[in-house]
Amino acid sequence: MRSRAAVAILAGAGFEKVFNMQGGIRAWEGLVAEGPPESGMAYFGDVVRTPDLAMLAWMLEDGSRLFYERMDESLGDDDAKQLFQSLAKAEVSHEKTVAELYRIFSGGRAVEDDLPSDRGDIMEGGIRVDEALRWAWGKGVEAILEFAISLETNAYDLYLKMERRLEGDAKKIFLLLAEEEKKHLERLAGLIEKKV
Amino acid sequence: MGVLDYFKPVLSMTAEEVREFVKDRSPEDFNLIDVRQPKEYERGHLAGAVLIPVGELHNHLREIAPAKPTIAY
Repeated sequence: MRSRAAVAILAGAGFEKVFNMQGGIRAWEGLVAEGPPESGMAYFGDVVRTPDLAMLAWMLEDGSRLFYERMDESLGDDDAKQLFQSLAKAEVSHEKTVAELYRIFSGGRAVEDDLPSDRGDIMEGGIRVDEALRWAWGKGVEAILEFAISLETNAYDLYLKMERRLEGDAKKIFLLLAEEEKKHLERLAGLIEKKV
Repeated sequence: MGVLDYFKPVLSMTAEEVREFVKDRSPEDFNLIDVRQPKEYERGHLAGAVLIPVGELHNHLREIAPAKPTIAY
């Protein structure tokens, strides 16, 4: 009902095509992103400078890469192994992209040199890699794929939030990253479909 | 907005239609708005959704592009 009211407000304000999603979030039956509207940005408080966002993105990508690499070593399933290897590679290329963004906006500094010393390895979704690996130990391939999807969902969500706060090239880069995370999501979802 | 606006027919999409819609488009090409309360949003929201609780919507209209298709839930 709330969304019907919202749609009425928007239509009244001149929005051309407005839709209400029937059944709301309960009808969605898919993976949802978690956390507050600015989730993942808590690490930097309210600071929204481009290099800070680039550094946060770098840390998340680096953590996800670690997770995919280590999971790949312990996964028994060949399809999942292959996909995780390719996702780990994609994260490496994302790391390079955001490292370059960091370099440009910080006057030539390397992101690796500037990382906070107490960072620990966090990954997409803001989860610690060691905790995730401990959780995943001995779990079936489906549960692990499901978990990877929730990571990528949160990453996608976070990049769109970053994208909205930025301008120019940085904005474009985060939109591109968001779109790639969306493709990762589709690949992971496709594999689950195949496995069930 | 007049009270009668609430009684105008509202266009709806099923969750499945939203899924297809979102899948085929760049996130830049539409608005996806979560009109629930912050706590509900925290518990789980559609990826990429912007939180604007319905009670605050009228204060935030300028932040949403009116020409793009808009989905609210």
